[in-house]
Amino acid sequence: MDLATLIQTIANSVVAGSVYAMIAVGLAMAFGVMKMANFAHGEFYMAGAYVVYVLYALAGWPFPAAVIMAIPVVAAMGVATERLIFWPTRENVLAGFMATAGLALILQVLVGQTWGVGLMRSVPTPYMGAMDVAGAKIGWQRVLVIPVGAAMLTALWYFLYRVKAGKALRACAQDAETARLQGINLNRMSMLAMAISGASAGLAGAMMAPIQPVTPYMGHAVILTAFIVVVMGGMESIAGAVLAAIILGFVHTFVTTLFDAVTAQMVGVACMALVLIWRPQGLLGRVKA
Amino acid sequence: MLKLDGIWVHYGTVAAVKGISLEVDENRIVTLIGANGAGKTTTLRAIGGLHHPSQGEIRFRGERIDRLTPERINALGIATVPEGRRLFPQMTVMENLEMGAYLRNDPAGVQRDLEEVFHHFPQVKERCDQLAGTLSGGEQQMVAMGRALMSGPSLMLLDEPSLGLSPIMSQEIAKIVKELHANGRTIVLVEQNARMALLLADHAYVMETGRIAMQGPAAQMRDDPRVRETYLGI
Ligand SMILES: Nc1ncnc2c1ncn2[C@@H]1O[C@H](COP(=O)(O)OP(=O)(O)OP(=O)(O)O)[C@@H](O)[C@H]1O
Ligand SMILES: [Mg+2]
Repeated sequence: MDLATLIQTIANSVVAGSVYAMIAVGLAMAFGVMKMANFAHGEFYMAGAYVVYVLYALAGWPFPAAVIMAIPVVAAMGVATERLIFWPTRENVLAGFMATAGLALILQVLVGQTWGVGLMRSVPTPYMGAMDVAGAKIGWQRVLVIPVGAAMLTALWYFLYRVKAGKALRACAQDAETARLQGINLNRMSMLAMAISGASAGLAGAMMAPIQPVTPYMGHAVILTAFIVVVMGGMESIAGAVLAAIILGFVHTFVTTLFDAVTAQMVGVACMALVLIWRPQGLLGRVKA
Repeated sequence: MLKLDGIWVHYGTVAAVKGISLEVDENRIVTLIGANGAGKTTTLRAIGGLHHPSQGEIRFRGERIDRLTPERINALGIATVPEGRRLFPQMTVMENLEMGAYLRNDPAGVQRDLEEVFHHFPQVKERCDQLAGTLSGGEQQMVAMGRALMSGPSLMLLDEPSLGLSPIMSQEIAKIVKELHANGRTIVLVEQNARMALLLADHAYVMETGRIAMQGPAAQMRDDPRVRETYLGI
């Protein structure tokens, strides 16, 4: 690996890590507050990409406006999922899981029926050109993912640790019953968690729309990685998810560059297994009392 | 102030509380004692709104509360210190206290109650920035009581505050219960430590397998031969 390739791979790793983190924090948050695994989370990511495809590539909106629009659209999908699936099945993790797996399929078919399955939807690159670092060319479109991801994670951190409603969300994740005894409305907090969960996955998909092929099945490819990240990070830990996302971003990108994508997936799973042998609760997870 | 009338609580099909009635007058300490599994915690959870009774009524200041959510009940001025303390372990002590005041919109009142918490529990003040999960059992109990105080309650439900604490620490907790009462709060105290509970309380109820087996003024209960034998081990 020469220097240019090395720099290129490192840059790609950071981009991948940022995207994984944006996707996984929402999954971790939904799991934390509702103790529910959302199998349709990958389709939230896909939906974000389609919002950009429809508004930017088809309707001709400016790219930033299309990206910003993806946030409320997919947040609303998150809230609807909470109301229609998680709230009715809240006593039954398996039912919730099955129902969201069903939702994932429904969304895939719906999108396929509407915009077609066979062809990849191509979204023109809004920001052409590349950054040149020691011979390595890093496209601006990719570079842009990093500050957007960092800004989103910072905003989320600020909300969870500095704003009362965010703290209440953490309280619900740590002990829902006791949170209710403090006057925290668990019902509303669940909706809030799913709104944030949808918004962050939607934003990630929107940012990736010009970089990745937009297809009805693009969520399928990320959901496995997102689950690996969340398990490796410690299920409910947001910080753990971010850390695991960055590690996995490097592992996947380097192994893909040196070998291939299938090997990268396997090495990713192996990393998770190793972490769990060393720390069964995940990198930053806590041991349940 | 608080009145339970023929309350039944079921877990699935099993009744844990079988038609109990009890009354708590304003500014009293009422204790609920009884063996493991008697249904004391379940009774407090029903008052706090975590379980809806399958039969019977709970009234607070005359108003039916047995169909309200825990959020609404907290807003009415009832605060629970749950069994096993149940702090938010990954949040700081200060954040735990803030959560206690979650529903309040009177910053001045919240500040005053925070001062009161620090006055009762000077150790808690020193630990403000520490994660609650890293505190000792006694310190956790203090934070749990402080958190309940932060909602500005008129009625406090304490579930085994001395559980797992050293005798000295239990003494300390007992002293604070007295102070809270002296400051005008009504208290329902559930205790395994019947000796301590009967010394603190005005009135006592003894629960056995989901029912009230005996009740009376605490002083009288202390001298009751059955209570002495079963719960005081004399
Ligand atoms: N979540 C639950 N599901 C099923 N049964 C329960 C549950 N919680 C309590 N019970 C049962 O209800 C009965 C009363 O329990 P409860 O916790 O109210 O007793 P307690 O008087 O508080 O006991 P302790 O002194 O041990 O705390 C017990 O038989 C217990 O096994
Ligand atoms: Mg109990």
